[in-house]
Amino acid sequence: MLPRFELYQPTTLPEALGMLSETGGNVRPFAGGTNLIPDLRGGREQARKFVSLAGLDDLRFTRFANGRVEIGSLTTVSDLHRSHEVLRNAPALHASATAFAGHMVRCTATIAGNICYGSPSADLLPPLLSLDANVTLASAAGLRILPLSRFNLGYKQTALKPGEMMTQISWPQPARGTVQLFYKLGLRKGDAISVISAAVSLTLKQMVCTHARIALGSVAATVVRAERAEALLLGRELTEKLIGEAAELAADASAPIDDLRASKEYRLHTARVLVRRLLRQAAEGPGEAGSTRRSTEG
Amino acid sequence: METSKAIKLKVNGKQLELLAAPNSTLLEILRNNGHVEVKCGCEKGDCGACAVILDGEAVDSCLTLAWIADGSEVQTVKGIGTEATPHPLQTAFIEEGSVQCGYCIPGIIVAAKVLLDENPDPTDSDIRVALSGNLCRCTGYTRIFSAIHKAAQVMREGAQKNG
Amino acid sequence: MVETVPTATNSPNVQLHQVGKPLIRTDAPNKAYGNTLYAGDLMMPGMLYAKVFRADRPSALIVKVDTARARALEGVRCVLTAWDLPDRLVVTDIPGQTGGKTKNTAQPILAKERVRFFNEPIALIAADSEEIAASARDLIEVEYAPFPGVFDRAEALTAGAPLVDGDANVVAAYKIRKGDTERGFEEADLVIENSFRTQVQEQAFLEPEAGLAWMDDKNVLNIKVSTQVVEHFRAIADALGIPHNRVHIEAMYVGGGFGGKEGLTIEMMLALLAYNTRKPVRLVLTREESFVNHGNRHPFTLHYRSGVKKDGRITAMEVRLIADSGAYSKLSPYVLLYATVGAPGPYKVDNLKVDSVVAATNNLSTCAFRGFGTMQACVAYEGQMDEIAKSLGLTPLEVRQKNFIHTGDKNATGQKIESAVWSEQCAIQALEALGERAKGNDVVKIGRGLACYQQSYGRIRWFKDSSEAWVGIEVDGTVIVRCAVTDIGAGQSSSLAQIAAEVLGVPMEKVVTYFGDCTLNPLAGTSSASRALYMTGNATKMAATKVRDNLLEWAGRHFQVPPDDLQLVEFRVTAISDPARSMPIDELARRCAADGVHRHHLAMFKAPTSEGLDPETGQGEVFPDFTYGAHACEVAVDTETGEVTVLKSVGAHDVGQSLNPQSVAGQIEGSALMGQGFALCEEIIQRNGVLVTPSFSEYLIPTSEDVPETKAIILESRSGLGPFGSKGMGEPAFAPVAASIANAVADAIGVRIFELPITSEKVINALARKASGQVKMH
Repeated sequence: MLPRFELYQPTTLPEALGMLSETGGNVRPFAGGTNLIPDLRGGREQARKFVSLAGLDDLRFTRFANGRVEIGSLTTVSDLHRSHEVLRNAPALHASATAFAGHMVRCTATIAGNICYGSPSADLLPPLLSLDANVTLASAAGLRILPLSRFNLGYKQTALKPGEMMTQISWPQPARGTVQLFYKLGLRKGDAISVISAAVSLTLKQMVCTHARIALGSVAATVVRAERAEALLLGRELTEKLIGEAAELAADASAPIDDLRASKEYRLHTARVLVRRLLRQAAEGPGEAGSTRRSTEG
Repeated sequence: METSKAIKLKVNGKQLELLAAPNSTLLEILRNNGHVEVKCGCEKGDCGACAVILDGEAVDSCLTLAWIADGSEVQTVKGIGTEATPHPLQTAFIEEGSVQCGYCIPGIIVAAKVLLDENPDPTDSDIRVALSGNLCRCTGYTRIFSAIHKAAQVMREGAQKNG
Repeated sequence: MVETVPTATNSPNVQLHQVGKPLIRTDAPNKAYGNTLYAGDLMMPGMLYAKVFRADRPSALIVKVDTARARALEGVRCVLTAWDLPDRLVVTDIPGQTGGKTKNTAQPILAKERVRFFNEPIALIAADSEEIAASARDLIEVEYAPFPGVFDRAEALTAGAPLVDGDANVVAAYKIRKGDTERGFEEADLVIENSFRTQVQEQAFLEPEAGLAWMDDKNVLNIKVSTQVVEHFRAIADALGIPHNRVHIEAMYVGGGFGGKEGLTIEMMLALLAYNTRKPVRLVLTREESFVNHGNRHPFTLHYRSGVKKDGRITAMEVRLIADSGAYSKLSPYVLLYATVGAPGPYKVDNLKVDSVVAATNNLSTCAFRGFGTMQACVAYEGQMDEIAKSLGLTPLEVRQKNFIHTGDKNATGQKIESAVWSEQCAIQALEALGERAKGNDVVKIGRGLACYQQSYGRIRWFKDSSEAWVGIEVDGTVIVRCAVTDIGAGQSSSLAQIAAEVLGVPMEKVVTYFGDCTLNPLAGTSSASRALYMTGNATKMAATKVRDNLLEWAGRHFQVPPDDLQLVEFRVTAISDPARSMPIDELARRCAADGVHRHHLAMFKAPTSEGLDPETGQGEVFPDFTYGAHACEVAVDTETGEVTVLKSVGAHDVGQSLNPQSVAGQIEGSALMGQGFALCEEIIQRNGVLVTPSFSEYLIPTSEDVPETKAIILESRSGLGPFGSKGMGEPAFAPVAASIANAVADAIGVRIFELPITSEKVINALARKASGQVKMH
């Protein structure tokens, strides 16, 4: 049973933005609801006014424009999983959409909902961060675009202001030959909150790294980019030794905690392992689509 | 704004007009209006017992607000097949011994039907992914997987016959 | 039809026409069509909705419970606390038994002076709507005072530990003293000692507890509920102070039980509210409430010391077991007894010393769960067997072959095993079925594990268990079976239809089983202890056989042949010596009816009894019989992340005789996955008694993506005590699974993890210990 609340159902984006700004009090955008509904039921969500975005079909899209991939905020995780374009252009994101919850939740949960919930275990965040994604936030006052890296501020805290909602996520088309990989480690193979997840995006030109992104989930209050590890790789050939050092730096960039699922030592250990593994795999060259959490290969 | 309003749902082909409050879920609305075949297992999207087909997609009805489902088509296990006209999935589940306590079955049949509608020749992996949101505690899934394969084969053969 | 008890033979000595065939279960079609009603699907006009107010802490004194604001809320019809219930209202008794009570099984229905576990019920509310009942619940205020709790079972046994309930934290203790362990250890070439720990597991049935209760126009309290036991009507009647014959419990089809619905769950709550309001009352628990409302699996610490000869023979075994009862005793004495009796496993151990104890703590309740103590012991004794094998350079199969108990041997409590013991055949077949070994690499290691077991079926003998069933044939040849057995998903009611169909020669579709009703059906006892087929199946077979005998007596006179020349098959009665002497069964039934032949029979089947165990030696006959089998699996372990993937999982069991092989295979396959969850990812975690895994998001059971290649192998010795020589299967199939996976992981990585569940983190830690040389060498 859910507590009583008010639900507004706009049919256009301007209507939605109007409701978000004009409705007094704590009013929140409501996308798929796959986190909000359990939180309402469990007493973890305090808002009692919601603007349903379900009527805004225009915000469900995947397109390419000006060298960027643009995803509408209400694109469902299932849309991402089924999209051949996403599989081709953003295989790590595709892998995270495949590893996300279970089938029915994927059909309802949205990309914006996953980002705005602000949990460091959000499955889509590491790949999006590794893609240098931007988010577009709209309000009655207009639009602003933020890098995703500046959007998640803390544990379940984002830069979303009252009256704002996310309309789009975009990123630059990766350079030709960029390998994008993702791995999610959970306590069971299906439908689990990650113990740790990792996404790597790597471009090599004649064995030399021209671009590197390493993002880790569930190792800090927000998803982290291992920027010193990335800087270490830039302009250099990826030897086993260098990969090991980068993995070490990536672990240093984490600040994991002990929780129900794992200890911080284990997360540090697996951060090293996963980053090393994904970098090694990426260095072996493009052609492999993003790995999934079911891999038993070393 | 807080008060109930009438919403329209087409459930298993029948047009219904139901009174719903903003905080009603599709699960509650269906169960309170003659559709107890939609089961409640966890109310937070972990178990899939409440799965229904909503405008062609499998969703957890416990995570769907009734107002947001207004105007939609809903199919439950009873709309998928009946004793008089069973769906090949139901026949296969019965024949393969895939049913034990039966509580997960309505949700699993929903997820399996959506799978077979989209993918007439699913692999083992396709089936596992399609059922990834459905928990079953009794059967260990093995006979559920084989029943889905069997139903898929029956449906493919039926489609071939019909040209 | 002549039956003799076969001895370990493969050739059938009875001809079966329907038993042993994968016929469609009577309950399957309606479940597949969504027609089957469960307890939470029931509604009545004027129905009230119930909610339960629970303590928010695991240990406290209750100073004051203020329900005034709750009672005053419009739409609230009833609020009950312990102060509204006379002190006789305590929950007690062994589920399903005919009145035998043991000490220490009392539990308050609602907490009065003390809170002893997290979310212990304090008040009940009934209101016009679920929303009002929930609001009323939020208006209840409790003043608590601190009271120290104890959350560690070893600590609970020390002097000075806070007392949980009564004057001691020892809930029960047993010992077995058999032979001479001192001499046995002296004779040993090697002594191996290890400690194992198993965790609390949640049954996680898909259907949360649900029910509807109302008073009817005969002043009878009716309760339709999801339960494994309808005999609870007695405890409810006693608690309400009404006669036993005025409580009518009907069990609906149960959406999974596994022992979690064996104790009283919500029946008492429903009864109290319906009785007090005189209106129908509905209660359906949320998943989070379900987790704290019924007892879970007892966690165990198991210390094993084994003396062995170089050739692998066990010369002596010393075992210490410590289990956690939670705050109230419930079935803990029996879970401990099962673990004690099962401590050595399916092996001949002539010199045996077992000391076991179960302690009360302020942790969540523990109670019945598939395996009931025996499967926890299996994790330990099968781990120990593999450690022995490793130390001696024997294979896991070899060391077991050296020690298997055989028919005619005496088990741990000196009970002679009469039925077939096919552990070896099952082990060989299970291992063979693993096929070709998967290929590992530098990082991913492949391992294989075997586990055998001995699991009882049928209840403890001194409960003097019995079951009744009624069978009748109508004049159109259709058959009715009436038996109060509860159907919890394993085909309990369908099996009875199949048995009656077999005996009376009518197709199964012509049999209807009326089940689960404590008043209108003959009482059958619990669906637990792997007893349902054994007890209710035998009762049904006895009743059907008497009806058959009566019909054939008439037919014999009619056809002028001796009755044992007649058979009932495929809806005809036919003389074997002259098939022309034949008629359809409906005609037979009609003509028998016209001639006053008794076409019904009520039979009672009684299990063998005994008077208990010797308190000093632990010797005595505890169970009617045992099932034997094996589970084998193959795993892949990623030695960098620690992740364990089960690749293949095979269960091979001697079921005596399968009624419906699909159902038997279903038990094996379902057990394989439930056991895998216990081995790898399931754990109810409490921090100082507070549950921190309250839902399916934190408590992880295996999903479709976790399923390995699974195989069920059925062996049939026809030596069981059940109908047609069958043995109980519900728990046996589950017993060895986790042990086989733990053994496989140890095989893969060369070091054992002694504490379940085997998470990936534990694998990494074990590998680190091995690398740094910290692993104890024998």
